[in-house]
Amino acid sequence: MNWWLLAFGVLLVGGLGPGLWLALRGPAAHRLVGLELTGSVAALAMMLWCQAIGQASFLIVPVVLVLLSFAGTLVFTRLLGPHR
Amino acid sequence: MTAIIAGVLVGLGTLITVLAAVAAVRAGDVYVRVHCLTVVTSVGSPLIGVGLIVVNGFGFTGASVLLVVLLQAVGGPLLGAATGRVNAQRDGVIGSGSPE
Repeated sequence: MNWWLLAFGVLLVGGLGPGLWLALRGPAAHRLVGLELTGSVAALAMMLWCQAIGQASFLIVPVVLVLLSFAGTLVFTRLLGPHR
Repeated sequence: MTAIIAGVLVGLGTLITVLAAVAAVRAGDVYVRVHCLTVVTSVGSPLIGVGLIVVNGFGFTGASVLLVVLLQAVGGPLLGAATGRVNAQRDGVIGSGSPE
């Protein structure tokens, strides 16, 4: 195991775990914070995973994830807003 | 030497990200949680990204990492503001049409 895999594992447990916990508890609008945290940490973990296995071409996955996570969260903020 | 610098940067970024995530869980208020979240995209992500660029150099890998970091640095505060606005509207702190 190299240091990149160790950092990947730490992010997976210490970052993704709390994100999932926040996304599963509380009112819908409060869960958005968990959704954002999960998306951000998942992209970072994927970058470290690509470095650990030495596959630079896989870096397109976190790039797409960041874009989709941003758009998806904005859609949720729109849907969860008060009805006019 | 390069590997050591990259390791320190990535380790620091990982530590800050994990601490921010744990702080977000421990925070009782959703607005405080949003603040904890922006630490990840504004500090943790750039540190990890710079560490990866230091070890890989600025080629395809470095450009991809830089793109992810920039998108997170720009998008994180925007999402934080949008989330705070939705919660403030639902809590009745601001009106449904705010800002007008």
